[in-house]
Amino acid sequence: MTGFRIGMLLTAALMLAAGAVAGDAAAPPLGLPPVPVPEDNPQTVEKIALGDKLFDDKRFSSTGEVACATCHDPKKAFTDSPLKTSEGVNKLTGTRNAPTVVNAAYMTAQFWDGRSPSLEDQALHPPVNPVEGGLADHEPILEIVRTDPEYVEAFQRVFGKSGDQITMDEVTKAIAAFERTKVSGNSPFDRYFYGGEKNALTDAQRRGFDLYVNRGRCVSCHVIEQTQAVFTDNRFHNVGVGINDIQQDVPKLADEYIEAGITGEDVDIEVLTDKRSSELGRFAVTTGFDDLGSFKTPTLRNVAVTAPYMHDGSKATLRDVLVHYNNGGVTNEGDPVNDFLSGGIRPLDLTEDEIDDLVAFMDALTSPEFADLPKSLGLEEK
Amino acid sequence: MSKKLLVVAGGIIAVAAMVTGLGVRADEFTKEDVDRYQDEFMSVVEKGRALWGSPDLGTNGVACGQCHPNAANTHPETYPKFQKQLGRVVAFREMVNWCLQNPLEGQPLGLDDPDLVAMEAYATWERRGVELAPGKH
Amino acid sequence: MTDSASRRDFLKGAGAAAAVSTLPLSMVKLAFADPAQDFTFAYISDSHIQHIKGNEFVRNWDRGLIRAVAETNLLRPKPDFVMFGGDLAQLGTKEELDHGAELLAKLDYKPRMVMGEHDYYLDLGEYWSKLFGDQYYSFDHKGVHFVVLNSILTFDEWTHERWPTPEQRMLEMAALDNPNGSPFMVGEKQREWLRKDLEKVDKETPLVVFSHSPIQKIYKGWNFWTDDAEEVQALLKPFDKTTVVYGHVHQIQYNQIGNIAFHAVMATAWPWPYPQSYAQADQHLPVLTVPMNRADPFFERDATGWQFIDMSTGRVAMDYNLYNNTNRRVAFNAAKGHPEDMAFQDPARRIAPQVHY
Repeated sequence: MTGFRIGMLLTAALMLAAGAVAGDAAAPPLGLPPVPVPEDNPQTVEKIALGDKLFDDKRFSSTGEVACATCHDPKKAFTDSPLKTSEGVNKLTGTRNAPTVVNAAYMTAQFWDGRSPSLEDQALHPPVNPVEGGLADHEPILEIVRTDPEYVEAFQRVFGKSGDQITMDEVTKAIAAFERTKVSGNSPFDRYFYGGEKNALTDAQRRGFDLYVNRGRCVSCHVIEQTQAVFTDNRFHNVGVGINDIQQDVPKLADEYIEAGITGEDVDIEVLTDKRSSELGRFAVTTGFDDLGSFKTPTLRNVAVTAPYMHDGSKATLRDVLVHYNNGGVTNEGDPVNDFLSGGIRPLDLTEDEIDDLVAFMDALTSPEFADLPKSLGLEEK
Repeated sequence: MSKKLLVVAGGIIAVAAMVTGLGVRADEFTKEDVDRYQDEFMSVVEKGRALWGSPDLGTNGVACGQCHPNAANTHPETYPKFQKQLGRVVAFREMVNWCLQNPLEGQPLGLDDPDLVAMEAYATWERRGVELAPGKH
Repeated sequence: MTDSASRRDFLKGAGAAAAVSTLPLSMVKLAFADPAQDFTFAYISDSHIQHIKGNEFVRNWDRGLIRAVAETNLLRPKPDFVMFGGDLAQLGTKEELDHGAELLAKLDYKPRMVMGEHDYYLDLGEYWSKLFGDQYYSFDHKGVHFVVLNSILTFDEWTHERWPTPEQRMLEMAALDNPNGSPFMVGEKQREWLRKDLEKVDKETPLVVFSHSPIQKIYKGWNFWTDDAEEVQALLKPFDKTTVVYGHVHQIQYNQIGNIAFHAVMATAWPWPYPQSYAQADQHLPVLTVPMNRADPFFERDATGWQFIDMSTGRVAMDYNLYNNTNRRVAFNAAKGHPEDMAFQDPARRIAPQVHY
């Protein structure tokens, strides 16, 4: 056994012991439901360790410098905060902000536009995107995992496969298994609402919580329920970010997509390299009118430490986000609202203090393991 | 002399008893009571009906009855229930308050506000006869 | 997701509901294979623009019309024309009709208009006619004869004598459940006009009637009702391919009476309950209808929408564009002789949101 492998196994075992792994092993963290695990990809300690290794491997890129962990950095709550949009090979930037991996296991679709149905599938895309991993295809990855001795040993033990039997299916299954251990709850909010700790929230946070489920109108999309909270409805909504800037272009752009019938792999490249296409959101994937300018509701867990915000990273602080919502889906009050705005978005008439309270509540959603990371609340020092 | 007094007194008491119900036991209620209570209730139902059609409950002139004619689709028989729009289990009048704040763009009423009770009375009256189904989505 | 779903299906949005995907336009054409001239038209209805004060209108209803107009403009292939099905305004005021007209002006098409009771009862259509023209008329398009009726009239006494002011009259007709209301009708004068108009039309010509009220008797308490429905239906009966398209009800309904197919359109403003959800009254919802999905009132556009209609078979095939809900397609099944929902007509294929109670 190599020292490296011992280390990986220990880490994975610790994760299991700490109750961070779902399935029949341990209970989910306070405030979360059990992590969904597909039948064809059960969690095992060794698979998780292998996934961790793959996640960190910079060789899976054209320059040898970009791994999953580059944009989803474990030290930054699995984002690349404070970057607005991620930097891939040769510092090429795309159009979208890297979402956190933490609690992504609860999503029913991956990517901001939901074009991937699972964690397994999602892992296929970035390595072969020109502005992310820059590879022409997955062959270089397969070459490495089929020949690197540590991978050879690991894949044999985890999947009982070697050589050409190892496909991207095995690779992505391991990565997904690792990602499924990245769940976090037990935040001050969880302790207050599900743990019965009346003093876990400050007064401001308690007021913010009240606004969240009432006048703030947050709870319908960023779901909190009676016994658990995943903070997302796993649906897609146009909240007026980004699309407002291309309102005049929407008819022509939509036309192009409908006429060209761009689907599948092309969408990946289009939306990450062409900003205007990116703003179409899920419409670029489905060409359904419903989806014009729609993006997936992200989780709000740990949101305070995963700035900047929205699909394009255009909101620097949480307060900026709330001002946008308070204005009814526009950045500056009085700006024209885009025609396809979600029916759930409307002006909120919150006071400045109420906005501050909501921001304070957002802060209460940070799990203890990320509590020391820098925050981007946008509150003035009082 | 005393006998006459007794008869007169008895007569007065009998009349008084008819008028004041003194002849009825303290913890008993009569059919007249029941009818009167029902009328009292219906007066509040009517108040609720008027509020249901009022454009003044919120700030934008929208009335409950615009979307809920005869209080249809409010389902008072299913409360308390988990209400997705509020993220928790609530009572009927909390959902009325949600409507006051959202589609009607107004302020919520206190949970003991007579107007809120009146609207609840009206909606429940229009749904009378339907089996209770608490929690039903 | 617990299975690895195929990416292709997933991209189409099929997911778990793959078994009940709606048929695309081209497959419908193949199924019916009838050589009529093919065209589509869009139908927007019941916007209920509501004035608050000054330059303020109820934002919720404004957004409904705005979105319908924006999406209609994106339709490909482009529809031949656009209809507006009535109730542009809520209380028929000049401000509301003007604002509604302003929002409609953003259409890339000039819509033909149908009168609704909310447009009519303040000034009996005077300002509406200045803006939009005739209250009833007919036109032909690519071999189909279209008739527009003003079907929200009522008894003369109620209209002219009962109410002290026009505002009062409008208010009394505005509340759906108001017992002081009065049943809708087409009326003798228009029926006579219709009879003469139809005399010149060949019985083989497809006929489509646009009306605000249903030209049926569904539920009188909410004026889902046309009092002279039978008389009007009798005039349409001789035509083999006849459809009535109606607004007013703010929900999906469809029906077949004899040889006449009936299709309701959605409102852009707000949905109404199905009559069977009023526990205290009897009503007759067409049993054919597969109901629309129940609304989540948080999403202000839920259970609202607009539609486009395909005339490839000479009969109406109606596509309901429902925001953030599976679109619905109700088309005439020639084998069965009535309209049906192309995905959900079979009770075994219904989904939970279609259960109303």
